[in-house]
Amino acid sequence: MGTSNLEIVQSVGIDIGTSTTQFVVSRLTVKNVAPGSLVPRFAITDKEVRYKSDIHFTPIDSNNRVDADKIFALIRSEFSRAGVSPETIDTGAVIITGETAKKENARSISGKVAGFAGDFVVATAGGKLESIIAGKGSGASDLSRRDYATVANIDIGGGTANVGIFKNGKALDSCCINVGGRLLQVDQSTGRVISVSEPMKSILEDIDLGLRPGERVSLEILGRICRRMSMVILECLGTGELSALAEQLLMTAPLRLDYDIDRVMVSGGVADHVYAPASSMAITDATRYGDIGPLFGMELARLFQARKVPMAEPTETIRATVIGAGAQTVDVSGSTILADDAVLPFKNIPVAIPFSDTLPGDETAIAKGVAQSIDNFYENDSLDKIAIGLTGNQYLSFKEIQVLARGLLKGLDPVIRAGFPVIIVLEADIGKVLGQSMKAVNGQMNIVCVDQLLVTEGDYVDIGKSIAGGTVVPVVIKSLVFETKQI
Amino acid sequence: MDNQIEKDIVESVLAKLLEQGILNPSAKATPATEAATGSTVDTDSEPVTLEPMDFIGIENPNNLEALKVMRKSTPARILMGRAGARQRTASLLNFQADHAAAVDAVFKDVSDEFLAEHNLFKVRTIVKDKDEYLMKPELGKKLSDETKREILDKGDKGKQVQIIVVDGLSSTSIEANIADVMPALIQGLETQGITVAKPFFIQYGRVGVMDEVAPLMACDVIVQFIGERPGLITADSMSAYMAYRPDHNTVEAERTVISNIHRGGTPPAEAGAHLATVVKKMIDNKVSGVKLAELMR
Repeated sequence: MGTSNLEIVQSVGIDIGTSTTQFVVSRLTVKNVAPGSLVPRFAITDKEVRYKSDIHFTPIDSNNRVDADKIFALIRSEFSRAGVSPETIDTGAVIITGETAKKENARSISGKVAGFAGDFVVATAGGKLESIIAGKGSGASDLSRRDYATVANIDIGGGTANVGIFKNGKALDSCCINVGGRLLQVDQSTGRVISVSEPMKSILEDIDLGLRPGERVSLEILGRICRRMSMVILECLGTGELSALAEQLLMTAPLRLDYDIDRVMVSGGVADHVYAPASSMAITDATRYGDIGPLFGMELARLFQARKVPMAEPTETIRATVIGAGAQTVDVSGSTILADDAVLPFKNIPVAIPFSDTLPGDETAIAKGVAQSIDNFYENDSLDKIAIGLTGNQYLSFKEIQVLARGLLKGLDPVIRAGFPVIIVLEADIGKVLGQSMKAVNGQMNIVCVDQLLVTEGDYVDIGKSIAGGTVVPVVIKSLVFETKQI
Repeated sequence: MDNQIEKDIVESVLAKLLEQGILNPSAKATPATEAATGSTVDTDSEPVTLEPMDFIGIENPNNLEALKVMRKSTPARILMGRAGARQRTASLLNFQADHAAAVDAVFKDVSDEFLAEHNLFKVRTIVKDKDEYLMKPELGKKLSDETKREILDKGDKGKQVQIIVVDGLSSTSIEANIADVMPALIQGLETQGITVAKPFFIQYGRVGVMDEVAPLMACDVIVQFIGERPGLITADSMSAYMAYRPDHNTVEAERTVISNIHRGGTPPAEAGAHLATVVKKMIDNKVSGVKLAELMR
C-alpha cells in the first residue's frame, strides 16, 4: 500500500559534561522505505544537525556543584538562539556525563531540564548509554557497519573516558573509565595546581606523586600523569593485565573482550589533540584550558602509535556525545503495530523478559511465566506499568499467536485489573496480529503492542505517540541507565 | 578410430594402472555392476539433502564475519563459492531444485483436502484446463452463468467484505499461507465491526476475476488472495489484491495490492492483520488503488 508518509521529527541533544556543556537541535526524517506494493516499513532516513551551540564551560558553583540555575538559563538562551521553542521538540536526550554525573544534584538537573525540553526527552546519567551515544555520534558505529569491522570508540572528556564497542553498526559492549583531561586543573599563567580531583589522587598515588593545590608543576610531571592515564585506557582495551589502578578507575564492569578490536577511534574534547598531535608541547600550551587535556591527547597518541594500535578518525570529536544524543537515541518500531495513542507517551517503563529461550506452547505455561516475571519485578512494591519483552524471531502461526495472546492476558491479569495498559515489545514482526488478537478477547483494554525491537532484561523503554499516520511509534531503549558505580 | 585400437588402448591403460596399484583389481568391473544393482543411483532411497541456502561457499575468506552479515541481508544467491570457473555441484542442485519447485507451484492444483479443511467451496472460471489457463489469461477473469448461480447459492450475498482465494500461478503459496493470513484478516475485520461473507476458492483464476465476483455478491470490498508467479527464491509467495466495489469498468489503478506474503517476506498472520486496517480505510473512504494511496499520503 502506497503510504509514502514522510515525517519530520525534531530532536534535541544536551550534553552536560565535566568540562563543557553543549546543545544541538537536529531533524530526523522518518519515511516509508518499502516499495509501493509491500507492507510499509518506516525508517529514519536522514539525520540533519540544524543547530550547534558554542562549547560552554559547565557552570560550577562555589561548592563545586553543578550550578542548576545557570545551566537552566544557558539552555533557555540556546533554545532562543536556535530559534526553536521547547514545545516543538519531539524527542532527544539530556545527558549528564563524566564527573558531573557524580555531583549531587545531577539527577534533579536531568529531570528538570528534560521536563523543560519536551515530553519525550530522555534524561540520563550513566556510563553505558553515554558510551554508546558517543560512539554513534563520533561515527564509530557507522564505520563498523560500513567496513564490517569491530570498532572501539573512546570518548574522552574532562572527567571520564567512555569506551563503546561496535560491530556491524550495533553496540556490542561498553565501559566507563574515570580518566579525563580535567581531573587536574592547572593555572596556565602561573603553572600552579588549582585543584586535584578524587580520581586524580588515586592516579598520583599509583605513580608515587603528591600534588597539592597551589604547588607549581613541571611539564615532566604532567607528562607522567598523562602517560599513566593513557596506559589505563590501553589496559582496559585488553592490552595486558588490568592494573590495580585501572580496576579502581573503572566505573562499570570491564569490557568482556570476547571479540577482537579491529580499529580504535577517539572522540571527545581530548581527541582533537590525538589526531593533530604536536611533536612537543610547552607547559603553557599543555595547560591552555586550565587543565591537562591537550597533553593527555598528545601522550595518548604517542602511546597508541608506539603500540601500533590501528586508528580510525572520527567524524566528530568534542561534539560526538551531544550529536549522538540529539540524533541517535531514538529508533522507530516496526510499521505494523497496535498502539493506543490515548495512553502514550510512556517513559522509563521497565522491561520484563519472561522467556529467555523459546516460547512455551500452551496458554497456562505462558501465563505462568509472565506472572512470574512481573512478580520478580514488583516483589514487595505496589504494581506499576511494566512492559513484557518477547525476544526471538521464530515463526508463529495464527493459532500459536492466539495462544500467546490469551496466555499474555492471563499472566497480565493483575496489571490489567490495576488499570495499567498492556505493553508488549516484540522482536518478531507480529505486533499487529498479536495486538488485534488481544483486542478480540477484550476490546476495552488499552494495548500497546510494538514489534521489531530487541530488548533485554533490565532495559527501560520510552515509547512516544505514534507518527506517520499512526503506523509507527518512536522508541528509545535504555540499557541499564543509572548503573554507573559511584567512586 | 578403429574399435580394436580403442579397446587395446583402454586395456593397456587399465593394465598400467593395476600395475601401479592405482586401480584395485577387484574394482575393475565395479562401474557396470553398481549400475546394474542400482546401488549408486537409487531412486527409492532418501532424497538428496540440499546444502542450506545460507551456506557460505567462499574458501578462506578474508572477513567471514562480513560475509555472514551480507549473507543475512538477502535471500539472493550470493557468496556461493565456485569450482574453477563454474558453480559448485551443490549450488547447481539447489538451483535445479528451486526451479523444479517453481514449476510444480504453477502446475499443481490446490488439493481438495486443503479446501475442505479451510471450509472453502470450489468453483472454476470458464477455463477448461491448466494449458488453456496458461495460454489464454483473459479466460481466467470470467465466470460462466452456471458458476455464478452456484456461488450465489453457496455464498453470502450483501456482506461488506468478500474474501476469495484464487490459485493464480502458485497453488503452493495458497496452501502455505491461507491458514494464517485468512483468520487474521477475518479477526481484524470483525473486531472493527465489519461483516465478512463466506470465503470460497476459484480455480484457474486471474486477478480480474474479482470484477465478476464483487457485483454478484454486492460487497463493498473484495479481498483476493492469489498465488504469485514463483521465482527461484520462493514458490510460496502470495499477494492480496483488493478493490472497492470493482466491476467490468475497473482499471488496474483502482486495485490495491500487498505482495510478498510468505514466511520469508511479510509473515502471513501479520499481513492479515495489516490487511484488515487497509480494508477499513477503503470502506471509510470508499476508494481503493492509487486514489487511496493518494489519500494516505
